[in-house]
Amino acid sequence: MDIDLSAIDQCARCGTCRAYCPVFAELGWESANARGRLMILQGLQNGLKGGMQDGMQGSLQADPCVQDSLNTCTTCGICTENCPAGINPPRLIEMGRRELVLSGRISREQETLRDHILRSGNTFGETADRLSWLSDRRLPEKADYVYFAGCMNSYRYTETAARTFDLLSRFGTTMLPNEQCCGSPLLRMGFDAGRLMQENCRQIERIGAHTMITGCAGCYTTLKNDYSPQFRVLSATEFLDERIQEMQQRQERKIKRLDIAVTYHDPCHLGRHNNIYDPPRRVIESICRLVEMKSAKKDARCCGGGGGVRAGYKDLSLQMARRRLLDVPEGVDYIVTSCPLCIRNLRDAGSKVRVIDLVDLVAMAAVE
Amino acid sequence: MQGGVVLDMSGMNRILEIDIENQQVIVEPGLVAETLNLAIKPLGFFFPPDPGSLAMCTIGGMIANNSSGMRSVKYGTVRNYVLDLEVVLADGRVVHTGSKVLKSSAGYDLTRLFVGSEGTLGIITSAGLKVAPLPAARKLVLASFPEAEIAGRSIVEIFSRGITPSACEILDRTTIAVLKMCEPHLALPADGDVILFEVDGTAASTEETAAQIRDACLPLARSVRIASCREEMEEIWAARRLVGAAISKLDPAKTRIYMGEDVGVPIKQIPALIRKVQQISSKLDIPAMKYGHIGDGNLHVALFIDIRDESQWDKLRLAADRIHRAALDLGGTVSSEHGIGLARADLLPEQAGSEAFSLMQSIKKALDPQGILNPGKMGL
Repeated sequence: MDIDLSAIDQCARCGTCRAYCPVFAELGWESANARGRLMILQGLQNGLKGGMQDGMQGSLQADPCVQDSLNTCTTCGICTENCPAGINPPRLIEMGRRELVLSGRISREQETLRDHILRSGNTFGETADRLSWLSDRRLPEKADYVYFAGCMNSYRYTETAARTFDLLSRFGTTMLPNEQCCGSPLLRMGFDAGRLMQENCRQIERIGAHTMITGCAGCYTTLKNDYSPQFRVLSATEFLDERIQEMQQRQERKIKRLDIAVTYHDPCHLGRHNNIYDPPRRVIESICRLVEMKSAKKDARCCGGGGGVRAGYKDLSLQMARRRLLDVPEGVDYIVTSCPLCIRNLRDAGSKVRVIDLVDLVAMAAVE
Repeated sequence: MQGGVVLDMSGMNRILEIDIENQQVIVEPGLVAETLNLAIKPLGFFFPPDPGSLAMCTIGGMIANNSSGMRSVKYGTVRNYVLDLEVVLADGRVVHTGSKVLKSSAGYDLTRLFVGSEGTLGIITSAGLKVAPLPAARKLVLASFPEAEIAGRSIVEIFSRGITPSACEILDRTTIAVLKMCEPHLALPADGDVILFEVDGTAASTEETAAQIRDACLPLARSVRIASCREEMEEIWAARRLVGAAISKLDPAKTRIYMGEDVGVPIKQIPALIRKVQQISSKLDIPAMKYGHIGDGNLHVALFIDIRDESQWDKLRLAADRIHRAALDLGGTVSSEHGIGLARADLLPEQAGSEAFSLMQSIKKALDPQGILNPGKMGL
């Protein structure tokens, strides 16, 4: 195993992560928080070296409990945000997952998801046309902007995909003709996503785009941080923030103010991972009243939908979403967010308040 | 330890009763202290012991280690707040050590025996605790001194004037550097070793006491100021709570090791202790942050090393041993609030004296003849 142990060594075992980890809040085991997971990573490293050392430095084998410990992390990053020693546990956990995968320790759910993605280019194993929602919309062959819809919006939230494309197409936007999964689920679970990433990059180059725009927080963080930095990556929230004033002033489909109140759920991979907190809020506030959730921005509680947890541990994932719903303030008309994974999880957890994408809110405010 | 059973009590985390008329609560041991405070805050009360780890430490752990923290200078330690414990003994009997009465002269004080016993005498399954009314106002005075020893002298001066702050924390310049790096916007003085004095009470009394502290510090300090607002105060306290583990942000190659980290001395010996720790640290060339609850004589020394370098471990062990012995020489303790455990087990007979330690062994034997409860801890 080749984990950067020097970063693990920085852990002073203070246990601050216990107070924040949303998975630990549900499961209650030390192995389900960052401190425990780092100890387990250290044990795995020692185990593979074949040496038994004292106490907490002891060696471990990658049994199913160890796999559960590492694989139940949603990589939400709230431990990183609050770690007094400045450690980034999700980065180390992803490295550990990679080593588990390389040594063949893969769960059935992980295997299924991997096979779906590698066979069909999407997380669902769908064989239908990814762009069928485009209907008779035309895709320019060359453009400055590419809208990267992602698997969830392409197959499950096609209306949101269509609305996003309609908003963006006015500014010279096209799509990849054969968009593949960005690779995020594979990377988060420890698999290799090189082939998919290369294919997407090849198409981007052919289009000649300088900017990729996506409405999925998982796609955003992957395009921005895992792809080579040859193009600019914008979240749909940032793009809307840049253009909302222009959209408010034009004649057609003018953005009007709505007499409603909404709250905003920060997707972890947009917020804590990429510091995008204000753009969605500015867009919302230009349309209607925003009431913050009980925990917001860098403190926002994870909905449980990311990091491969929904795929591998659905009950846990929904338990976390139900707890997140307790943060919703009274009297709001919608929960707005900017990630289809969060939308799905919050809806599936039984939200009484309708959960929508920021783009859906903007579309609601657009007057014909 | 090999072959043992870990009893994780964190699942027993309910608040069983809030009895505000009697200013008491009954809780289970796995309850996190901050959760208790959040529950009783709307009623105008709080559980005063305030370790930096308030957000993650459990009441059972706090009782078992007699923890205290930042406000013990005024409010005392956990021991002062425990009225009754339900304890499962080694033979399976369940006993109550007290009741809801605030005072009792009936028999041995078993409650105080179990507080701080580190799980060696029984398993705490519920606790009756006193809580206190939340103060109406708090003020924070920040005083910067040319050196830690002079800062220590200011404490002696403040107490000799009859002033009792609600918290009194020292942060030496290494600690300040770490804090400034973690929270660059914090307006902490950068020109020396700092003491944070907090006072609580009414708006008028805090105003007056803060001014008295400022006046007492002025002849010794480089600068003294009163925090501008509640937000600034809260930010400074939040940063202070977590500073112990933050050293890696200053130097990622170094890790803070909890050895020699919890010594305490009588208040007037604080300057001598600080001087001694500085000598040990510089002689062994081990960097140290010094911070802690200096108002009750408790100094946290954070020694940090590259843990992959075995020679640094040797120096660390030596430094910790010397720090412990320095505290004992000054009439102090090797642990003010973290406990003995395994790490300091060999020092307990020395601190307690052989007769007192032998008495502890007898108590342990009477309650746990087979040595099944937390064996080896405290050297028992």
